[in-house]
Amino acid sequence: MNPAPLCSAALAFGLATAALAQEPKVITEWDIQTQPGGSKLIQEAQARFEKANPGFKVQRTQIPNDAYKTKLKIAMGANEPPCVFTSWGGGVLREYIKAGQVVDLGPYLAKDPAFRERFLPSAFDAITWQGKTYGLPGENTTAAVIYYNTEIFAKFGLAPPKTWPELMKLVETLKANDVAPFALANKAKWPGSMYYMYLVDRIGGPEVFRKAIARAPGGSFADPAFVEAGKYLQELVKAGAFAQGFNGLDYDIGAARRLLYSGKAAMELMGTWESSNIKNENPEFAKKVDFFPFPGVPGGKGQAGNVVGSVGQNFYSISTACKTPEAAYQLITTMLDEASVKARLADKRLVPVKELTIADAPMQRVMQLVADAPAVQLWYDQELPPQLAELHKDTVQALFGLSITPEEAAQKMQALAAQILK
Amino acid sequence: MNRQATPTAAAPWTGRRRHAPEWLAPALFLAPALALLAVFLLYPLIESLRLSLVEWNGLGKGRVDVGLDNWSALLRDAQFWRALGNNLLLALMSVLVQLPIALALALLLDKAGRGSRTLKILYFLPLLFSSVALGVIFKNIFDPHFGPINTALNAIGATALAQDWLGDRRFALLTVTAVVCWQNIPFYMILFLAALASFPPELREAARLDGASDATIFWKIKLPHLQGTVRTAAMLAVIGSLRYFDLIYVMTGGGPEGASELMATYMYRTVFSSFQLGYGSTVASAMFLVVALIAAFGMRLTKRFETRV
Repeated sequence: MNPAPLCSAALAFGLATAALAQEPKVITEWDIQTQPGGSKLIQEAQARFEKANPGFKVQRTQIPNDAYKTKLKIAMGANEPPCVFTSWGGGVLREYIKAGQVVDLGPYLAKDPAFRERFLPSAFDAITWQGKTYGLPGENTTAAVIYYNTEIFAKFGLAPPKTWPELMKLVETLKANDVAPFALANKAKWPGSMYYMYLVDRIGGPEVFRKAIARAPGGSFADPAFVEAGKYLQELVKAGAFAQGFNGLDYDIGAARRLLYSGKAAMELMGTWESSNIKNENPEFAKKVDFFPFPGVPGGKGQAGNVVGSVGQNFYSISTACKTPEAAYQLITTMLDEASVKARLADKRLVPVKELTIADAPMQRVMQLVADAPAVQLWYDQELPPQLAELHKDTVQALFGLSITPEEAAQKMQALAAQILK
Repeated sequence: MNRQATPTAAAPWTGRRRHAPEWLAPALFLAPALALLAVFLLYPLIESLRLSLVEWNGLGKGRVDVGLDNWSALLRDAQFWRALGNNLLLALMSVLVQLPIALALALLLDKAGRGSRTLKILYFLPLLFSSVALGVIFKNIFDPHFGPINTALNAIGATALAQDWLGDRRFALLTVTAVVCWQNIPFYMILFLAALASFPPELREAARLDGASDATIFWKIKLPHLQGTVRTAAMLAVIGSLRYFDLIYVMTGGGPEGASELMATYMYRTVFSSFQLGYGSTVASAMFLVVALIAAFGMRLTKRFETRV
């Protein structure tokens, strides 16, 4: 008998099993880092993870912002989410948590206290629910600030305003000189929401929103602070503070920044990620842009140091559908390791870790702003449950369009809140 | 009773092989199509009707049966009715704007004969772009500050005409409707061109010999010849408008302040932004009912016309 065929068969079999054994375990990961800088640093972290954990392979998908939200929703609904996913924490993440689709990272973090200790305590706020931690603070610390064109300010002898009357005065001067005070691209509604959130905070303090969402005694979305905020907002609109077309302009195609670059508008209230956008799109303009915090409202209960924003943003979570949660945890910690933090810093992103040596002066100021803030309010549209968040965005856009009264807007929010928040 | 027990003269009992029943062959041919229809049409339809009776965020097991609550909420939902109104306006505009222009272009191209090829391609181009790409392009074209439209209007001194095309709730729907028309005209133009191609030239020759003018030929001969196509085109335009989504979603997202909200954009928002899968399904089902009703009505109307002509 010729043993050759048998041998080769055995060999083939052996090779097949070997191949099977070497078949890497795939960890799927979805994030929204589509800009070159952010994308590269995540890729590098994943490469480090793969090297340290032979046998595992990361399969990454990057999807821009709004499409990402929809895609994740569908994947979650179909029970086929990726292993590791990014979110903004708050209301949407809670929907997934309530459906039992997110892994509680508490036990993992308990085994590794040093890792948890690195982060600012408030970095876990948006991803904590009923005492459990459902994510790791990723990417950057952000705050909404008012960016302004220093050249225009110098030309008309203006200074960053500290109070609302000062801001209104500034608006008047700019208008008189044919410069639109603010650039705003409110098609997606969240950019306009920033004004409203700040006004609520400055007028009524951070407690008003907290009590309203917690349905605490006396808490209500019809609280006078919400109504007042609407009035201030409409006062600003009526004063002509916004460049024409604000409710139709699309932030995602840079419609607001174009107004800044061309000098047609002098200011923009936006999250601090705008620094990186401006630097990438228009390095020349980046040299003459600066920012100041949202001004205080006289007689208001909220301190002028309070910030609307997020300590940590784009949090990393693990889905319960993930077959290798241990490895997935390794992956997300690698995406936040020392090298990742450094890479983010170089890309003008402030990871909310305690010891961060920041050379860049404006970034230092952002960090200081958030670190000193007596209160940090997460964006309403992320904090609220989705249905209420959508109504919030709708009513704020209508406030901007002057097609609804502040009282009506507040009543609508209160009515739906009473119905769905229990 | 046993069928084989009563042999007939036409099909003598062979003893070995039975003849397949008559319905088997057609059934076999139809089966794949029917299966596809059932899986991709019937099942989703029934499922979304079923979902319209629950309250559910689309995740996990939290489905709550709420009976007809969603439907009664829909009847009281001003946003839905407004969206339906916008859909009907879009349908009306589609018929009144798209079809006449498409017909005019088709007649022009039909008459042009030689050299019309380039024009045909040119006119056909809008249909070839993806709606999403078009949406982004037109967002820039209608930009109130940097868009070419306002820039041109300002340049010729017509500053009063320069508008906030997409951000003003008075104009948003009309602006997007104009783009929708622009994009869809080529489709109907091709439809009419095909119909015109089947127009017998002898008819025109004969009419000419009888001394008919161009206008007479158009109104008395060509238009009646095109009648069926026009009716089909009108139906397609109306149904298409009632289901419209993509370009509007990209350009305005249904805004500002709901000014350009359509049933489909509203449904998308309820399902994917508000996480109300149950209510969103109610909106979808209502949309289906509206389209089905209008289509049925339209077809009956067409039938009546046909019998009259």
